[in-house]
Amino acid sequence: METLLMTIYVLMWPVVVLGVFAVLLRGFLNDWRQARREGHDII
Amino acid sequence: MDNSSPILSTSTVLLLLVAFYGFTLYMAMRIRRRKENADAYMTAGNGVGFGIAAASMTATWIWASSMYASATSGYTYGISGPIHYGLWGAFMILFIYPFGRRIRQVAPKAHTLAEVMRARHGSSSQLLLAGSNVVGSLISLMSNLVAGGALIALFSPLSFVQGVLAVATGVLLYTFWSGFRASALTDFMQVMVMMLLVGIIIPIIFFSAGFPSAFETGAGNLTAEQSNFFSSEAFMHQGAPYIAAVLAYAIGNQTIAQRLFAVREDLIKPTFITATIGYAGMVIGVGMIGVLALYLGMEPLDGDSNNIIPQMAADYLPTVLVALFLIMIIGALSSTADSDLSALSSIVMADIYGQNIASRGKARPKVMLFVGRVTMIVATTAAVVLAGLQLDILDMLVFVGALWGALVFPVIASFYWEKITNLSFVVAVLSALAVFIPVRFDWVPLEITLFAFTIDVLAAVGVGVVLGLMAFGFFGLRAGKITGVLATLLTLPFALGSLHEYTVLSASLVAYSVSTLIVLAMCLRNNRSFDFSTVQQRVGNFDDDDAAQDEKPGIEPVGAPAGAAGKEK
Repeated sequence: METLLMTIYVLMWPVVVLGVFAVLLRGFLNDWRQARREGHDII
Repeated sequence: MDNSSPILSTSTVLLLLVAFYGFTLYMAMRIRRRKENADAYMTAGNGVGFGIAAASMTATWIWASSMYASATSGYTYGISGPIHYGLWGAFMILFIYPFGRRIRQVAPKAHTLAEVMRARHGSSSQLLLAGSNVVGSLISLMSNLVAGGALIALFSPLSFVQGVLAVATGVLLYTFWSGFRASALTDFMQVMVMMLLVGIIIPIIFFSAGFPSAFETGAGNLTAEQSNFFSSEAFMHQGAPYIAAVLAYAIGNQTIAQRLFAVREDLIKPTFITATIGYAGMVIGVGMIGVLALYLGMEPLDGDSNNIIPQMAADYLPTVLVALFLIMIIGALSSTADSDLSALSSIVMADIYGQNIASRGKARPKVMLFVGRVTMIVATTAAVVLAGLQLDILDMLVFVGALWGALVFPVIASFYWEKITNLSFVVAVLSALAVFIPVRFDWVPLEITLFAFTIDVLAAVGVGVVLGLMAFGFFGLRAGKITGVLATLLTLPFALGSLHEYTVLSASLVAYSVSTLIVLAMCLRNNRSFDFSTVQQRVGNFDDDDAAQDEKPGIEPVGAPAGAAGKEK
């Protein structure tokens, strides 16, 4: 049981990171599309 | 892994560095414009979108030391170690967002926090904040170059100095032309690479090293404290001092303030929340490598805990992933180094040239851009020289941290409280610093009960200040006051007779409490007031209206350049 908990404890962080990766990528793509639509630079 | 056989060849490392910095430079060059703009160089027109802003905030908050220190914390304090490094660091991003919203509300077009302090108080407050940031960013820049040089020297036949020069040149090249815009856009790319690699590398190391079964076979390598998730030793030696230190960093550091002023105002909340989760995942995740090393009974090379991550990578990753791991760390340190360069250039452009050298309202944007770029070259050169000399920077770092700690309450109060004055601001910060130094460096004869008692009481008040400010940020003044008083009273019984023994922690807490108590003592009876709406009239764009309009579609220029010192009415 302790081994299972430790495994989850260690491996949950890469999962969190990949989740944030997806959120940031989606946010960037939205920014990019909006910038193109409005005809200005993304930054 | 040993010293005699570098894992990667010189040509491989050079190829990786050229590819990494070449692509970063390509991205930076794509945003360069023929028509230059000083405001965009500092804050990208105050309208950066969610994706880039959140990525940039995450990338800036993570530097090479974050990863090394989190792994060291895991290796030293066991399973709770990475939490006591990464979680508190992440919470501090979350903690400052309510204050960030207020700061943007008061000064929507500012470039630096010091600039706002000038509009609120005067030049002495501004220069305290600006000066601390010049030193702090230079130290941070140097630390990142040292980390890059050491990593390249560890993984390849290249020397430390060659590694430092490679990283310094790469970062300067892509940040030089577009300033903050280049920094933020490349931060996005760097943080995406870092996140992808963290998501891949940690599970690979985990299974290659024989986990999960190594949790059972290696359990004997942990002490009782290291096996305890609620270890008080980990909290008192790592977590608590880090909370106090990182709170000061979050409020005082221009790299964070710059992103706060750059992000679109309505996106502050999601940006900070995403950066909080991203930082926690990255830093705690990498810190777990230290925990795994502890279970495996690994000894750090040359006894240096900074070698834990490279050793684990070298021992348990295939060569291709070792190369990508190198890029991950180079990305982490480059993203912070470019933020430091942008912060330094903004401070010199806005606070030193724009408000103190150029005559009032006469700052020329083209000169500002020139000043900003020269600052970047000078700062990089200075950081390379300091890195090459390998000076002991701990004392300087401690000093800057203390200065930022002393600044926390006066800076926050300056955005909410009409009564706080320039004199109280300066006296409070300098007094807090004067008390902090002897406590931090053990110059106080603690065998004298009165001194030990005083430090314990002040430290307990410091706990109240930190928690009170947090509660105030999220729940308002009443909640802040109640939390502050309750936290102080509840801490006192535990603090008396013991807190002074934790020097690092008690010194930071004393800096918070002394500055707070002096501001309160000097200003509570003050009858003068301050009209916050005047700040945004005094802090605005430096570029002329046409240029600003041309560069930033959809954004109304403020028009009046910053330059006027604040007046209390």
